[in-house]
Amino acid sequence: MLLRKLLPVRCGYLARRWASSDPLSLQNEKLQSYLESLRQEYYGLRVNATGNSRAYERLSQLEGVVNALEQRRVLERNITSAKDIEQEKDEDMRKLMEEENEVYADLLSKQEHTMLQELLALADDEVYPALIFGVNAGAGGQEAMLFAQELFEMYTSYFEHMGWEYEEFARETTDIGGLRHANVMVNGADAFHWLRFEAGVHRVQRVPATEKAGRMHTSTASITVIPRPADVHVHIAEKDLKIETKRASGAGGQHVNTTDSAVRIVHLPTGLAVEAQSERSQLKNRELALKRLQARLVQQQLESSEASKQATKKAQQGSLNRNEKIRTYNFVQDRVTDHRIQGGTLHNLDGFLKGGESLSGLVEKLQLEHRRSRLRDLLEAWQPPQKAANKD
Amino acid sequence: MFKYLTRSVRLTSRALTHYNYATSSSSSSSGSGKNSTGGQLVAVTKAMEGWSQKLQDAGVSDTEFNLKCIVSHVLKRKFNTVPDNFSQLHFDQKQLADFERFLEARCARMPLQHIIGEWDFLDITLKTAPTVFIPRPETEEFVSLVIENYKDVKHVNMLEVGCGSGAMSLSMLHALPRVEATAIERSKAATVLAAENAKLLGLQDRFQVHNHTMEEDQYMPEPLKDKKYDLIISNPPYVKTEEFQFLHPEVVVYENLNALDGGSDGLRVARLVFDLACRHLHSGGKLWLELGNEHPPLVKTIMHLKYEGRLNFVGSYYDQYKRERFVQIEKV
Repeated sequence: MLLRKLLPVRCGYLARRWASSDPLSLQNEKLQSYLESLRQEYYGLRVNATGNSRAYERLSQLEGVVNALEQRRVLERNITSAKDIEQEKDEDMRKLMEEENEVYADLLSKQEHTMLQELLALADDEVYPALIFGVNAGAGGQEAMLFAQELFEMYTSYFEHMGWEYEEFARETTDIGGLRHANVMVNGADAFHWLRFEAGVHRVQRVPATEKAGRMHTSTASITVIPRPADVHVHIAEKDLKIETKRASGAGGQHVNTTDSAVRIVHLPTGLAVEAQSERSQLKNRELALKRLQARLVQQQLESSEASKQATKKAQQGSLNRNEKIRTYNFVQDRVTDHRIQGGTLHNLDGFLKGGESLSGLVEKLQLEHRRSRLRDLLEAWQPPQKAANKD
Repeated sequence: MFKYLTRSVRLTSRALTHYNYATSSSSSSSGSGKNSTGGQLVAVTKAMEGWSQKLQDAGVSDTEFNLKCIVSHVLKRKFNTVPDNFSQLHFDQKQLADFERFLEARCARMPLQHIIGEWDFLDITLKTAPTVFIPRPETEEFVSLVIENYKDVKHVNMLEVGCGSGAMSLSMLHALPRVEATAIERSKAATVLAAENAKLLGLQDRFQVHNHTMEEDQYMPEPLKDKKYDLIISNPPYVKTEEFQFLHPEVVVYENLNALDGGSDGLRVARLVFDLACRHLHSGGKLWLELGNEHPPLVKTIMHLKYEGRLNFVGSYYDQYKRERFVQIEKV
């Protein structure tokens, strides 16, 4: 009776023991000591971080992991050891202890899961407040441009799904409703961590609307993601702007009722000119034009700034190779296949192109995979401090 | 000049014989969908042929914008969702007939805002009505200036004198949730329209409008005669009577002249507003006015000469065309 009750506990214990060869298992000794070092770093920082913003940033990064670790230790302490159970003479008491242990083991495994999530989030590198998201039609002529337009719509609804603000500032369309290229500025601290996995070549296989003979075509469109470092700021001075509207002479106000609402703004120092006429209200058009100008100036600065080049290069290592074919949209078979992960095939292409849960789920998978591999790399490169000290 | 005016009046009456203002016609066409009218589809680009020239000949500038507004209205699509290139768009027969009727009216210089029955003002869309003054783009600038000044104030009890379609008050209420607005308006049609706009925008709880003609010693309607406000805004009529001969037909033929006529110096109504402000502003309360080009220096002089110790000229501001047009005045 007792044996049968103890067996599953033992087996679980053994299973966990066995799993510790996986570097991301919490039974792994190296991970354990890595966690301990994070904990010490956290408390060290908490005492010494005075007015140092980098330290505060690191602190808030570590907070989640350390909290999870502390909670886990509390839980562990509550578990009565096997030895104590054996020593307990009273049968009822022993039963109670075992039941209690089961509850705690359950809680513990949940806690381990949250801790792993926190730890994985820690593996993310730098944070960028915004990024420039580009869609470009690739090989395949008109069909590629139609596909680029579909991708563009998918991603803008994805931005909305994720609650990121975005501003479209360069867009060239074709007469039959295709898209040559478009640039969108996406704001959101976590946007880069998600969207980085979308950069690359997207391939479409279908019978195009433009095809008369009914043959299947393969065309491509590419996505670029350029992170915008926090220190890129553009200040636009009022005196540097020349704002042109058509209604500039005469008395204005109640005297006339012309409806011209188009606005053109020239930025005198750079000679950049932007226009807006998509709204009926002139003031709205002016706001729109100013935003576009701002985005163009940021882009200009980004393209020239060294910091951004490095950031882009860094981001492109691994998954972000511009020329890598990352995903295929096959309309004939109604499927999407991501070429970077196992089991990356999804069905219901229409649903996917809506840019909601389906796309979000796939990106989440990619992100998890990326975080795991980064954490593994991190652990491999990490040396326990005492060993390093012994070497000296 | 007069020949020109009579011509447009003649054109208008011709257009109106088969045209019963935008609002009523659009509601009648909304009921009949594709199935009842059905018939052939006409490419919008085809339907547009020749109209640009006709508009220009009638003296309408910015024809492309006019055409796009009318196309989007006929198709019942929001203006900013209609592409600049119309090659993918089609009219059915009913829409084609509407389209041509609207353009005919526009050639007769009926204001675009009356034809399509609505207009955008800052972040809100307002219904327009034939006898109610159409808000101007400079007024958007004026209102955003006032909003900028009141965006952090806890609670504002505001009065607007002569609200017309309600544009100024309603866009203020839309932007600032802690403002409450009362308006007075002499035109019955405008009073009704402003109340209707408030309802359409869901702002009726914070907006009340009274039909009242402001006169000396009878500045406010009876129920409000002891009320005091933190802020008064107004875009009173400020066109000088002698200037009327130079105005566009859209303005002088179609707009309510009561909303424009500011007397010989353009400040007849503004003077009444000054007196009203003396009585109905809290001490330290502000009066903001949108006026004509040469008015702000004049207002400053008037404040010094006539309102010493009662009203204080705070400053004047420029519109987007660099014209000194807006003034702020403080109740002492």
